[in-house]
Amino acid sequence: MKSLWKTFKQGIIYENPLLMLMIGLCSALAVTSSVSNGIGMGLAMTFVLLFSEIVISLFRKVIPNSARIPIFIIIIAAFTTMVDLVMKAYFPELSKSMGVFIPLIVVNCIIMGRVEAFASKQSFLPVVFDSLGMGLGYTWVLVAIAAFREILGNGTFAGIQVMPGNFQPILFFILPPGGFLVFGLLTSFNIWLKNRMAKSEKAKERA
Amino acid sequence: MKGIAKLGLVLAIFAAAACASLAVVYAITKPQIEAQDQIALTASLKEIFPEAVNFEDVTDKIASKDPNIKFLNAVLVKSENAPIGVAVKAAGPSYGGQATLLVGITLQRSIAGVRVLELKDTPGLGANANNPGYFVKKAEKVTFPGQFTGKYLTDAFAVKEDVIAITASTITSKSLTKIIKTAGDSAAEWLETVTADTSAETTGGK
Repeated sequence: MKSLWKTFKQGIIYENPLLMLMIGLCSALAVTSSVSNGIGMGLAMTFVLLFSEIVISLFRKVIPNSARIPIFIIIIAAFTTMVDLVMKAYFPELSKSMGVFIPLIVVNCIIMGRVEAFASKQSFLPVVFDSLGMGLGYTWVLVAIAAFREILGNGTFAGIQVMPGNFQPILFFILPPGGFLVFGLLTSFNIWLKNRMAKSEKAKERA
Repeated sequence: MKGIAKLGLVLAIFAAAACASLAVVYAITKPQIEAQDQIALTASLKEIFPEAVNFEDVTDKIASKDPNIKFLNAVLVKSENAPIGVAVKAAGPSYGGQATLLVGITLQRSIAGVRVLELKDTPGLGANANNPGYFVKKAEKVTFPGQFTGKYLTDAFAVKEDVIAITASTITSKSLTKIIKTAGDSAAEWLETVTADTSAETTGGK
């Protein structure tokens, strides 16, 4: 149980896909101009990650090694298309605002990376914890970047006006360079957090 | 050789299973997606023509003059008895892929209103064309599609001259303007033949 919890925590802080592994950045920076997009993208991604990892882990013994990449892609693409269809049917607004980035989950390297490095070698339970950890790690970073960019760049949070009326939105934060800046700040914050946690753990061991 | 055949077979099985499950999801969500599209379309039609009561399908009668821009749908909008305008659902290329707009044209050859139905442009930039909180004229709270309302088709429809562009999204602004102009021109031309017909009928009646 302890190792499962550790697997889960890896994705959120120590091996956060965006802040530590630095994969899957393009879609992360592109959709984070509003908080609702960030939440939607994070959940869609977590869903695809969870189910692709489960299916691949269950069938890992029958997937031939030399044909694994095309099979992984088929499985990931199937789940991504399902998310896209469901979103179009039940959340048309969200689906409209994310546009092409939902179908692009297929080629998101976080999924490909986790499936290749983790799910194809591990059994059911660790895989569930890994995908939830990675998915949550991805989602919190998206929401954090999006909150920063939306509040400063548009004066709103999840579409609700939070800044005073005379606040002039800083367009820079909505544009791509603003995304990079916020992302860089969050990365350094995460490294600080990681070092701090490592220190306190060491102190615990000594005591 | 045998190894390759086996690989192919395994791959085919996985592909078939993925197809089957996708087909199921597609079948479940299809009516819902169509219903959403229909709701969005009628709602936009009513917004553009508040006094609209009846809609007559005239999709076959209005043709696009630009090969890149397709008219998916066209309806003659009527109040109780008289036609009040035409609405064209037109799709054309924009920055992030195909964009679909609903363009309403009045009998006076002016734009009754424009609604963005589908737009895949960059969120936060081009997608602002579809953001009800993004104004090209801040003081008057006029949105990008909103600025076309009441505009006559005899105008230039040139971005940065008589059309205000979306900040940092010139391509989106130009593409959408072109779709609106193309749809408007064809619809107005068709309207002319129709109104000419009806006026001929009335004179004939006298």
